[in-house]
Parts: sequence; C-alpha cells; structure tokens
Amino acid sequence: MPSVTTQSKNLENEGPILEVHFLISRELEEKYKKDNIPIPEPVVVKALIDTGASACVIKKEIPEKLGLNPVGATNITTPSSKNHECYQYFMRMVIPSHQILVELPFIATPLDGQEISGLIGRDVLKNGILIYIGYANQFTLSLL
Amino acid sequence: MKSVLSVEIETYEKNKPKLLKESNGKFVLIKEKEIINVFDTYADAVKVGIDKFGNKPFLVKKILEIEPTQNFTSNLIRIKAECLQ
Repeated sequence: MPSVTTQSKNLENEGPILEVHFLISRELEEKYKKDNIPIPEPVVVKALIDTGASACVIKKEIPEKLGLNPVGATNITTPSSKNHECYQYFMRMVIPSHQILVELPFIATPLDGQEISGLIGRDVLKNGILIYIGYANQFTLSLL
Repeated sequence: MKSVLSVEIETYEKNKPKLLKESNGKFVLIKEKEIINVFDTYADAVKVGIDKFGNKPFLVKKILEIEPTQNFTSNLIRIKAECLQ
C-alpha cells in the first residue's frame, strides 16, 4: 500500500497538507498521444486532507491550466451555501515520489483563505488509512 | 450565463423518468441532446466519452431519483458567484 508521511512545522495551524500533481486522465493522455496533441504539463499544488469534505474539490484554475472541459455537474452544500451546482473534471491526482495515484471526478469550486488549491475528501480516504499524530506534528496517508 | 453543460443537463432532466425506470443506479453518458449509452460504472462511461468526444464537454451522471449533495464542513469554499460559468 503506497504511503506518504509528512512532518509539519505546525500541524494544528496548517492542517495535513500535501504537495500533489494534477494531470489529465490516462484515457485522454492516450488519445492525445494517438492524435499527436501535446500533453499538458502537470499542475503542482498544495492540497489539504479534509475529513469534513465528502468529495475532492479543486480550484477551477487547475482544469483551466490543463485545458480540460467538464464531464459532469454536482450539487454542493457548504456552511455558506446550499445546493450549489458545480462542474466536475475527470483527472489524475498523483504524489509521484510515493507512487500514490487516484483518478476520479474533481469538483471545481472557489477556494479562499489559504495557500491550498484542493481538498482531499472522503471519496479518496474511503480507500485509505489516515494517521494523524498531533503531538508529533506528523501525519501519514496510505492508499490502496 | 449559459453553462457549458446546460444542453446535456436539460437532456438528462427530460429523459430522467425513462432512465429511472430502465437503468436506476447506473451511469448515463450524454452529449448535447443525445443519450449515448448507459453503463454499470462511472469509469466505463467516462472512458467511452473520452474515446468518442476527446476533450469536449459531455455529461456523465448517476441515474438516481434524488441526487445526493456533496457536503463540505470547511469554510474554505466560498461561493461568491455561480460555479457553472
């Protein structure tokens, strides 16, 4: 089971943040190769592991940088809004140094306030183990 | 502003009663006003969508009577304007 363990300077303040790479889906990459279309560079951002998020969300700038079009729409509810419809983009999220890869629909939303560009939600965590060692400022994420 | 998937969403809503009757719980692939097919998994529907349309907008949707809402307890998501723009 691939795992990543991260030491944070202040885990309580920052939260469990990982550097992740977003890429176009495997299927689209294959199609681009066949059609001689240049494959966009991965977008590297910081994402927060959020057990309060039922699904992964990303800033809409990420699919824009990858030149992607939406493949779905879903309703989201947040503390400040109810049943708000947002686009979904099918992409890969990778932590290359640790062989962690997930491919799923990511919801594009505005994300304000911190230097993070994505939330890793329970649709990813359902296939993993999250160990949060607060007193050591350390966390581990393992995914099937 | 009209959303990129407004035609597909309209097509889904128009055909929802029939889809619910025949394929409840499965995944439908829609391009503009056409229902391409129904699949057992989300991945299969997206794969066919990419194969047929490449990087053009299309809609993959789970056929359900009541669509579940994705919930976020964090205040990091601030909805200021419509997302479907």
